[in-house]
Order: sequence, then C-alpha cells, then structure tokens
Amino acid sequence: MSTPDLSDLLIYAGIPLAVIGIIFALVYAAGGRNAKRYRPGRPYEFAPVWFLARPESDGPEAQHAALDAAARAELTAAGDVAPVVDVTGGASDRW
Amino acid sequence: MTAGDHYAVSSAAVLDGPFTTRQLLRLDDALRKADENSGLTFSTYVGEVEEPMREGAERLHARLAHPAESVLIAVDPARRQLEIVTGSQARKRLSDRDCKLAALSMAASFGGGDLAGGLVSGLAQLTGLAGKHNL
Repeated sequence: MSTPDLSDLLIYAGIPLAVIGIIFALVYAAGGRNAKRYRPGRPYEFAPVWFLARPESDGPEAQHAALDAAARAELTAAGDVAPVVDVTGGASDRW
Repeated sequence: MTAGDHYAVSSAAVLDGPFTTRQLLRLDDALRKADENSGLTFSTYVGEVEEPMREGAERLHARLAHPAESVLIAVDPARRQLEIVTGSQARKRLSDRDCKLAALSMAASFGGGDLAGGLVSGLAQLTGLAGKHNL
C-alpha cells in the first residue's frame, strides 16, 4: 500500500466528480423547473389564447366586419330584434 | 393563427403562453387538418372563461363568424374544466356522445399536464368522428 499519487486521484475522484457536475449542469441549464408550462393544481397565469386555422375569415372579428351598420339595421327592421340564439350541443368534463 | 379580440390576445401572448413553438406548430397543423377534412370550423380557446363555464363557452362560440358550422373547444386550466360547444349544423355531424368521448380523452391528457397533446388528440378524434366533408 503506497500513498496515491496525483494521476490516481484524478482518475478515481476527478472523473466521477466531473460526471456528476456535467449531469447537474445539463439538468439545471435546461431550466426544467422554471419552464412555462401548465401543471395541474398550480396557478395558471397565462393570457387567454384562441386558435383558429383561418382567423381572418372564421374568427370572432370576421362576422362583425362583414355585418356593417346598414345590414344590421336591415336585420332589425325585419323584426329580428333579438339576436339569433343558436342551438348548441357539446360536452364538458373536468380533470 | 390567433384571433385578436378584447381578451388581449396577441402573438406576444401566444409566445408567452404555456405552449412551446413546436407545440404551437402541431396545434396549428391539427386545426388546419381538422377544418380541411371535416369542412367544419374548429377552434380552441385556452384560458379563463366567464362564469358559469358552459354559458361563457357558448358566448365565445357565438362570437365566431359562422357559429352554426363551428366547434369550439374551450379549456380553462385554472378551473380544470373543459367545454366542447358545437353549432346547430356541426351538431348533426358530431353528436353529444362523440363530444363526450373526445372530452374524456382530452381531460385525461390535461390531468397529466399535457395541454397541447390533449388538444391535438381531441381535435383528431373529433375530426374522425365528424367524418368526411361531403361537397
């Protein structure tokens, strides 16, 4: 049994420590903890978003642009005072 | 890809949202395919919906350009609730049972924290159930 020299120390202690350091760096550099994502049960503080394939023609703004004041007056003059309430179906669920 | 409205929805809000760019692209692709294959207008709303949730989702649905042919998936992650709203024409293609089936699978994904995956699979399921567009 002789006292370990520097190269033995580097191989048996230095390399494992370097590997541990690299793994820590990879985990925390990715920012996994602070990534913006939804976690069930945690507060959700993102602005609402509404996705459509063609927002220009199908989106919430399109209808109001198409139906200008004259057309609106015509509709109401025809006795269609109350807005047409569409019969909707669908489903709901919770998680 | 987003619809600007008084909910202050902008591209900045979308990029700051809970979705990664890759997820946004997948979502956009799923919406486009759903619209093309079914002939209906699919849209997904993710965020706070007015109380009570069903009425709030129906009001959002009514604001679309063609509500009768539209299907809205409204998800409120804070309340952990989702609503699928189908218009009067869309309802003929997608029964409430079909919607419930899609809602169940989406809720399972959302429960695991996967918003984008749940929306994409839900859209695919609804498109499949709605069947082909016959013109």
